[in-house]
Amino acid sequence: MPTSGLKSDMQALTAIFCKGLKHHIRYPGEFAIFLMLPFLFTFLILGMGDAVGGNNAAAYFAARTGTTNIVIYEILGSAVWMTSWVVIEDVGTAIRDEQIKGTLEQNFLAPVHRFTLLVGLSLTDVVITSILFLVVVGVTVAVVLPSSFLTVIPAFLALLLGLIPLFGIGFLFAGFVVRFKEPYIFIQIVNLVFATLTGTYYPVTLLPYWVQVLSGVLPQTYVIDAMRRIVIANQTLVNLYGSIFILLALALAYPIVGYAVFRRIERKASVTGEFSKY
Amino acid sequence: MNPVEVSQLSKTFETREGRLFRKVHRSVVAVDGIDFSVPKGEIFGLLGPNGAGKTTTIKMLCTLITPSSGDAFINGFSVAKDQQKVRENLGVMLTGERTLYWKLTGQENLEYFAALYHLDSAYAKNRILELLKLVGLNERQDTLVENYSTGMRIRLSFAKALLNDARVLLFDEPTASLDPQSSHLIRDIIRDLKREGHAIILTTHNMEEADLLSDRVAIIDQGKIVSLGPPSELKQKVKSSDVIEIEARNLAKQTPAALQSFSEVSKVAITPSQTGETELLRVHVEKGKEVLPRILEFLVRKQATITKVTFIEPTLEDVFIAETGRSLRD
Repeated sequence: MPTSGLKSDMQALTAIFCKGLKHHIRYPGEFAIFLMLPFLFTFLILGMGDAVGGNNAAAYFAARTGTTNIVIYEILGSAVWMTSWVVIEDVGTAIRDEQIKGTLEQNFLAPVHRFTLLVGLSLTDVVITSILFLVVVGVTVAVVLPSSFLTVIPAFLALLLGLIPLFGIGFLFAGFVVRFKEPYIFIQIVNLVFATLTGTYYPVTLLPYWVQVLSGVLPQTYVIDAMRRIVIANQTLVNLYGSIFILLALALAYPIVGYAVFRRIERKASVTGEFSKY
Repeated sequence: MNPVEVSQLSKTFETREGRLFRKVHRSVVAVDGIDFSVPKGEIFGLLGPNGAGKTTTIKMLCTLITPSSGDAFINGFSVAKDQQKVRENLGVMLTGERTLYWKLTGQENLEYFAALYHLDSAYAKNRILELLKLVGLNERQDTLVENYSTGMRIRLSFAKALLNDARVLLFDEPTASLDPQSSHLIRDIIRDLKREGHAIILTTHNMEEADLLSDRVAIIDQGKIVSLGPPSELKQKVKSSDVIEIEARNLAKQTPAALQSFSEVSKVAITPSQTGETELLRVHVEKGKEVLPRILEFLVRKQATITKVTFIEPTLEDVFIAETGRSLRD
């Protein structure tokens, strides 16, 4: 009694999501890491800033960023970085994780669409991390800048829009991981480079011009900037139509390109028998 | 058209081996132009030693590996071109116990895979309960798979292959690592599935199992089918010879080749015994009773210690020896 079409894809996606959720509930330790890291990175940056800038650190910071609210500025950068790290890493390594567990071929034997499988395998982590993002940012804004508490909602919407192109980058890495194995070193280096380029802890304008060109093609650059403008400068999503438009364009381009690359490498892997190799 | 049609199916793996900058390209032929078909209600055994090409064949049939040339059709769908349709029409059990999610219960595993097979949830619920009962896991359905024994995991994996009630079933070593009781259960279920009209392909390196279950057997070696037919017919081919099994210690490596110089000896194969302390020499010979004293004398002269000599009924292993000159367990 098979179902068909969109219903069957949604049913499969739900099952993959629930399976991931059960795994997380039965291995709960990761939640604590997701919650702590944005704060830890923020305190690290604050400490370094104080050590380097001394009494003038806040003034220097305000001159370069236009705000004295260092904690909010940094926590938004950290939280977006952590969320995008999870998306890219999880989409990129989901296939490898299943391969190591021995369950990848079982999933590939089923008539479920590969796109559904690839998205589904990382969806649980993305949803959990996004919820944790809301908690981290919500609590910080409520404590440090309570008057802006409601801006967390549009800021979260900007983040959700920015996650779509990140799935595309994740697909690209999923392909590379199938081909080269060794996922973690590869993806961690890229995520650190992304943090450097996208204004996670400082404005992109401080970077050399040619580096800013690279920043301009990364969705996190626009998400981080938009969220800071919404939460700190009280701008609305409508005011930020330029960034939103670019994010929409990236949301279309990255998944198409990323999935095309993944499928190409995946087809080659089925010729070489790569999926059975550890 | 039969549910399974395999035509000139081949697979060559291209590899690059050696050190960095000194890599050498190598082609490995895993499956070499095999042909066979499986009608409804037949159990078709693929028998061969490890590395013979059985699993590669199964993986091509279930679309995990793309054939280099040739094609196979599952219910009329090409494994090379209609992969999605092939997957919908197949139930597959791959070897090993790590094919399940250990942090999920038995029932949760089946629910997950039922959704990937797009089974309607109400139908899936009943089907899962039915299958858990069939493989004797209904009382442990809520236990995490990590707490299952190896046999229970393999039985659950077997149940998974039956979820979508596909008319074509592929079982890769379904009873490997199972205790005798569980093996018996799985074999009985396979026989029932055959009676229901399923076309079943079974790979095994267990010749007794292939003999017991299969209506026809293809003996595969180095990617080629060296013999194909009902087990009884295949064994009939070697019945004209006597088969002597000699258990001995200190057998020299050259012994099998040296024994071939006897004009009455047609084939000789050597394998370690189950204990590993002795070796088993399997000799296909004309007029065995007359030649045996000379063979024993020859072995003693070569310093071998003979512990047991038996005249045995030919098995599928002897068919393999007759065709390849090697043992299935080499």
